[in-house]
Amino acid sequence: MSLNSIIVEQLSKTYQVPEREAGFSAAVRSFFKRKYKDVKAVQEVNFTIAQGEIVGFLGPNGAGKTTTLKMLSGLLHPTGGKASVLGFTPWELKPEYLRSMTLVMGQRNRLSWDIPAADSFLLNQAIYRIPDDEYKQTYKELNELLELDPLMKKPVRNLSLGERMKCEIAAGLLHRPKVLFLDEPTIGLDITGQVRIREFLREYNRRTGATILLTSHYMADVTALCERIIIIHQGQLKYDGGITDLSHKIAPFKLIGVMLADADSHDLSGYGTEVQNEEDADKRYIQVKAEDVTRITSKLLADLPVHDITITDPPIEDVIEQAFNS
Amino acid sequence: MFQIIKRLWQVNWAEQWQYRANLLMYLLYWLVSPIIYLAVWTSIANQKGSVNGFTANDFTTYYMLLLICDQVTSNIVIHSFGYKIQDGTLSGELIRPIHPMLTNGLVNNIAFKTLTFMGLIPIWIILYFLFKPDFSGVSITGILLAIPVMLLAFITGYLLSATITSLAFWTTRVYSIHEFYFAILLLFSGQFVPLTLMPKIIQDIAQYLPFQLFMYYPIQVILGKLSTEKIIQGYVSAGIWLVVAITLFNWVWRNGVKRYSAVGA
Repeated sequence: MSLNSIIVEQLSKTYQVPEREAGFSAAVRSFFKRKYKDVKAVQEVNFTIAQGEIVGFLGPNGAGKTTTLKMLSGLLHPTGGKASVLGFTPWELKPEYLRSMTLVMGQRNRLSWDIPAADSFLLNQAIYRIPDDEYKQTYKELNELLELDPLMKKPVRNLSLGERMKCEIAAGLLHRPKVLFLDEPTIGLDITGQVRIREFLREYNRRTGATILLTSHYMADVTALCERIIIIHQGQLKYDGGITDLSHKIAPFKLIGVMLADADSHDLSGYGTEVQNEEDADKRYIQVKAEDVTRITSKLLADLPVHDITITDPPIEDVIEQAFNS
Repeated sequence: MFQIIKRLWQVNWAEQWQYRANLLMYLLYWLVSPIIYLAVWTSIANQKGSVNGFTANDFTTYYMLLLICDQVTSNIVIHSFGYKIQDGTLSGELIRPIHPMLTNGLVNNIAFKTLTFMGLIPIWIILYFLFKPDFSGVSITGILLAIPVMLLAFITGYLLSATITSLAFWTTRVYSIHEFYFAILLLFSGQFVPLTLMPKIIQDIAQYLPFQLFMYYPIQVILGKLSTEKIIQGYVSAGIWLVVAITLFNWVWRNGVKRYSAVGA
């Protein structure tokens, strides 16, 4: 077997969306002749993901992240290209494939709303043919990491958002999938909840060697979990590589922060572009090209009454923002 | 597979219990029309002595049995599944390694029917003491002959409704299509009136449709009113319709899922 869990070649998806102008006459016209517009959600995307990798899948709303995840989990037929996950073509929906992957998407998916999660868990045990002792072992591990016990007996509808998400994720992992597709696994959770899910995913990956592809709006999810990220924008792949390389490639800038005596009286425009940094109001920050850092730092030190100086990478959010716009 | 069905049953049974008040309302709603037909026809027959050979007791026994046959052979798949296709909740079920409609959907319907059946029993007993039907025509043989055909009719009816429900993959108007189907079903199944009282043309058409198998045919079998030849005909018809329903459902479902996954799951 190849070491690549996921192979995606020229994968494309075009939706046909009916469209009409607002208003009565447009409504009547569209009744007789509907106009369709092609929406290219994903355009000829290529990537491979090795077994055991955790990859962050980033992009603004409507970039094509969820569409790609749906194609890889088998829910969507692509309009072009190929994909292979664990050697299966996902959209053939072969039971062996469905038993070896999971898709966690939103909060209402695997759990039945009206009954306690414990019942849905047992149903999943049967559906995925999990032997009793393996089920107990997996549940024990999940319980250690997610503290599920107190939640199991309440009807799912009575759980809080965070509790439900924990149960959803656990329900999706009972069959120990080899590939995990997670669409916004921490959405709606508070900071503690987010951290816990993150730690859990890292630990699950370490213990089982599973491959994880996740999307998130919370950059912290991605920086904490993924060494590699894939950025997609308007259906096209914009970046695929290490998270640390990203800033070098896309935004080869550094931030120089200086604390000055009588801070506001100096004009810094000659050194670089001044940027706002709300977290650290004592310092003033300028953005400079990476290769100019040494030169400008020594100039600042020579010219101005500097009390303190720091050199940092720009925040990853800003870099990705720039990647989207490039 | 047995284990899956068992767990599906536990989940669906528990779920249906959550909606027991709802179910009772549904049961009462569903009981209204057969009980009205029963009351109307028996009072007409009482005045005239009989209607086309049907005495008041014939009507009473017919509708009392219809309540049971209809309960066994009917299904609610359009209501329990249609919305899942339309609002996308189907996605979660589609990526499980079992067939959503033929496992979960089916078990859900059976759980629903079992619970409503429990509600029907006391109502049926009350009706029995109100109308005091004479069931002397009913034999054990008749009952034993009717049970398999009712089960076949349930599966066939489920698959036909499931086929129509699956049209939701293409159209949002699936509920009106199902209403139309249901009207045809009522007409040809013998719910309005026993089929022998219908115009000849309706009776002739009914012979070629599966709907009489849901009510009219099993009732007549239980009442011992059919010749051996007619009973065999009914079983053959049930077998043929089952095959037709399986084929139809498979085809529509497969293409529906393809379409679902083409437009945006």
